[in-house]
Amino acid sequence: MTRPDHELPFFFGEGGELFGIYHQAARPSARAVLLCAPLGQDHMRCHRIYRQLACTLAGQGMPVLRFDYYGCGDSAGGSAEVDWLRCLDDIAAAARELRARSGAERVLAFGARLGASMALAAAAAAAGIDEVVAWDPVVDGAAFVATQDAMQEAMRQDTHRFVCPRQRAEAVGQWLGFPVSSTLRGQVEGWRAASRVAPSLLLDSMARPAAEWRQLFGEKTRIESLEPTTPWDDLARLEAAVISHPLVQAVASHWRERAYA
Amino acid sequence: MREQAFRFGRARHLVGIAGLPDSGDGTVGVILLNAGLVHRVGPFRLHVDLTRRLNALGYPTLRFDLSTIGDSGATGESQSRNQQICADVDDAMALLGQHSGCQRFVLVGLCSGAEKAHNVAREAHSHEKLAGAIFLDNFAYRTLGFRVRHYLPRMFNVRRWKRWLARKAQEHAAGDVPVFGVAPLPQHVVREDLGSMVARGLKLDLVYTGGIHMYFNHHRQFRECFGSVVDDPAVSTRYLRETDHTYVLTGDRQRLIDHIGEWLTRHFPIAQAGALP
Repeated sequence: MTRPDHELPFFFGEGGELFGIYHQAARPSARAVLLCAPLGQDHMRCHRIYRQLACTLAGQGMPVLRFDYYGCGDSAGGSAEVDWLRCLDDIAAAARELRARSGAERVLAFGARLGASMALAAAAAAAGIDEVVAWDPVVDGAAFVATQDAMQEAMRQDTHRFVCPRQRAEAVGQWLGFPVSSTLRGQVEGWRAASRVAPSLLLDSMARPAAEWRQLFGEKTRIESLEPTTPWDDLARLEAAVISHPLVQAVASHWRERAYA
Repeated sequence: MREQAFRFGRARHLVGIAGLPDSGDGTVGVILLNAGLVHRVGPFRLHVDLTRRLNALGYPTLRFDLSTIGDSGATGESQSRNQQICADVDDAMALLGQHSGCQRFVLVGLCSGAEKAHNVAREAHSHEKLAGAIFLDNFAYRTLGFRVRHYLPRMFNVRRWKRWLARKAQEHAAGDVPVFGVAPLPQHVVREDLGSMVARGLKLDLVYTGGIHMYFNHHRQFRECFGSVVDDPAVSTRYLRETDHTYVLTGDRQRLIDHIGEWLTRHFPIAQAGALP
């Protein structure tokens, strides 16, 4: 762990709307890491592991910026205002901020779930991202939307959570605690990962066959399976933090190895 | 209104976001404590929505992470957890006071956050800085009334008896397993604490939900648990049977935020209240 004093919370971007925490490294580095959060409850569940990853990477000499998109976490905006295109702009703004603060030439991005998908989309849109490491990226937006809808429907009827099932009208337009605009819903639904920008490392903790990833991203992507599997879509674990020491170790050693490659 | 990010505290180990309204000098500041291990934004961003609404009403706020939770670190001091929490809240009051000018504060806590707020408020000198507390799903005890309401409808349900017997058999087969947890304060202590808080002039708001129906299941249970102190005008109680423990539905969160805003403006009115957004 780095000293907390080396983690600086601040607002940045146009109008100071975005919240971030900059993890300073002990010495200047040519590479810096941008952590792209997932959306909704995945974001809440990943907060701890993102901090652990940031501290580990900063400890091995890479400055790190983790930040909240507009409408997420401590950033300005309401939860209903989250917008895919705005998130991509925010990634670009965060990459610029990270370059300016750290002096690094290359910005590497890490993302989990939709955070990985958006990091890949931002890299394809020339947002100043040089490389992406993806953890269980969402590759089929329509399937993701269907899963979120099904979980939301199951949750409103869950008698472990509610004394009585709630009316459908009370749960509509939301995914597991967060409002979802029809715009965002459509944007996520339309997302399909493509091999145009492939991650340098893909970490799979959902036991998806490696051949499927290969087919999607090609031979240049290194694929690693993580154990145990991550219960992203388990309603019973909806409010449990996602913790994975193997994930932190895999990302840290991947970027350590590439520094000497 | 503006929000500012701070690293603060006696060891600069705490991280928090202060919401500072343009007006509102002389009113109370509102400080939100972590709900369990969820970082300062609160479950489903409840703390962000709540603080921004209170800022719009004119109340300065601070949502922050206690030592070792969220983005906050440890101090390295040799203290009990309770001492750390009291010292962290003291640091939070100092920061918000310095930036907003307010000298008295209201604590808001959900679940273990409510227990922490209670532990701070039960300190003998807390009233010197604390003006009130909002306890969301705080301490509750299975009273006789609870047992009657809970078990009577289940008594003649054969399926439930079968499930109960199967569970007991499982527990018996598993043998004794060590339990690691923090014992809640005894009922008589909490009852005395609430009386003492009211006697010291604190305003209290107790909001409980159906999410804790395994030990709290009716509005009447406030009185069964805590006695006549709940009839005091300084104490408000509300039972939201249909709502879950962490307010997962947006409508439930909105109703809670409306309620807290109304409670604050009733007990701590501000001269130049902002308009509801």
